[in-house]
Amino acid sequence: MRFDPWMLLDYWELLLQGTWLTIRITVMALVLGYLLGIGVALLGMARSRTLRAIAGTYVEVLRNIPFIIILFLVYYGLPFSGVRMPALFAGTLALSLFVSAYYSEIVRAAILALPRGQFESARAIGMSPAQAMWNVVAPQVLRTIIPPSTNMTLTMMKESAVLSSITVPELTYQGLVIQGNTFAPFEVFAAITLIYWMIAIVIAETSRRLEARVGLAQRQSVTRNPIADRYLSLERRPAR
Amino acid sequence: MTATLALKVEGLTKQFRGTTALDSVYLEIQPGEIVALIGPSGCGKSTFLRCLTWLEQPDDGFIEVAGQPFGRERIGAVVRRQSGREIDRIRPRIGLVFQQLNLWPHLTALENIVRPQIVVLKRPREEATRRARDLLARLGLADRAERYPHSLSGGQKQRVAIARALAMDPALMLFDEPTSALDPELVGEVLAVLRQLAEAGTTMLVVTHEIGFAANVADRIAFMDHGRIVEEGPARQLIDAPRDPRLKGFLDLVLSHRDGPAPPLA
Repeated sequence: MRFDPWMLLDYWELLLQGTWLTIRITVMALVLGYLLGIGVALLGMARSRTLRAIAGTYVEVLRNIPFIIILFLVYYGLPFSGVRMPALFAGTLALSLFVSAYYSEIVRAAILALPRGQFESARAIGMSPAQAMWNVVAPQVLRTIIPPSTNMTLTMMKESAVLSSITVPELTYQGLVIQGNTFAPFEVFAAITLIYWMIAIVIAETSRRLEARVGLAQRQSVTRNPIADRYLSLERRPAR
Repeated sequence: MTATLALKVEGLTKQFRGTTALDSVYLEIQPGEIVALIGPSGCGKSTFLRCLTWLEQPDDGFIEVAGQPFGRERIGAVVRRQSGREIDRIRPRIGLVFQQLNLWPHLTALENIVRPQIVVLKRPREEATRRARDLLARLGLADRAERYPHSLSGGQKQRVAIARALAMDPALMLFDEPTSALDPELVGEVLAVLRQLAEAGTTMLVVTHEIGFAANVADRIAFMDHGRIVEEGPARQLIDAPRDPRLKGFLDLVLSHRDGPAPPLA
């Protein structure tokens, strides 16, 4: 047996289609998951105990079952209650649900970490809760949520490989197809490893730039203490 | 006295799980008047300010700001609770300067003052900016407009917080312990600013430990203990000849502390 990666060139179209679909699924789940996540996070901080309980249950359930079970519940389970949808749709929805539970915890933690006085000073001056959130809380939270959200997005992107089990033709599924044709699992999955790795690099780099931009716009964060700053900074200090 | 009161508080009561934080507080403030609210810590001063801005909902009682009912209103014999929107509309009439200031660190000093005018009062940006620059200049911060709060000194931050509240054209300014969050050497600076505001005719209610400020700048002093205003009167008279034994005890404590040897450095 010999290692012959060049034969994959015959299948470049399938690999490209799979890669493109994985990227689209990831972006869709990121957007949908974040919208859901923000909603659940706000629900989790509502005044009503019932609403808080609903948000808490949502997060608990989704975080404590394996992703593949969420996927099967949505794809095979929902049709029993009369909701039938194509595999791609069901898969993206399941991925969004899965990741939204984690996003909501990230958002909630970031909001709770903000001193309460920030929101209160906005309210006391006459802003509505929504205006206070938009003008005062959100811009400050934006920066703290980027690093943990990036980690979660990477996990979610990798988890999208599980959609191959319900025949969504994303990257892993295409890999399985090629492998079936060529009986060359090592070459195929080595190539797929590389592609996933490159997608991950793009996500991490995008997040890094985003973080730098947000950081630039708001200069220093609230929590930076000038004394700590002086001792932690790598800039050269004038000699005594 | 026919002028509308800047603030009229009647029977304000607030309980926290059984303990009474405010016990039927009555207070009236004339426009242009400066009232100092003093009292031992935990007596309900901060709760009072939080109830006046409806950050905490009082259980009972009425607040009127420049003749406008705030939070609850009486229509004949019926008491009606105002909606959140109505409350938000009256809130800018009361400028609150928090003890911790709570400037918004992601906005420049100027934008801290401009943003609420645009969002709450719907002022055009140019007008809001003009107003903000004017206030900053008046408070000696004209050259600090573009700075972010973290690069301002404690006293400068406080003046930005004051300008932010003043820009809303409040009928009344509330100060929560304006000197306590600052380094001791900045206390004089803040007191000077308050005095400047007083000369400009700003109506103020100042919660303070600075008996000196209360005696020199305030027209009237109200002494609070256990959630009640126990004694109130012209500043000098109240300090020189306190009637209530609790006020006497409090003044003895504060004044002896002030005249005694300097406390050890913390």
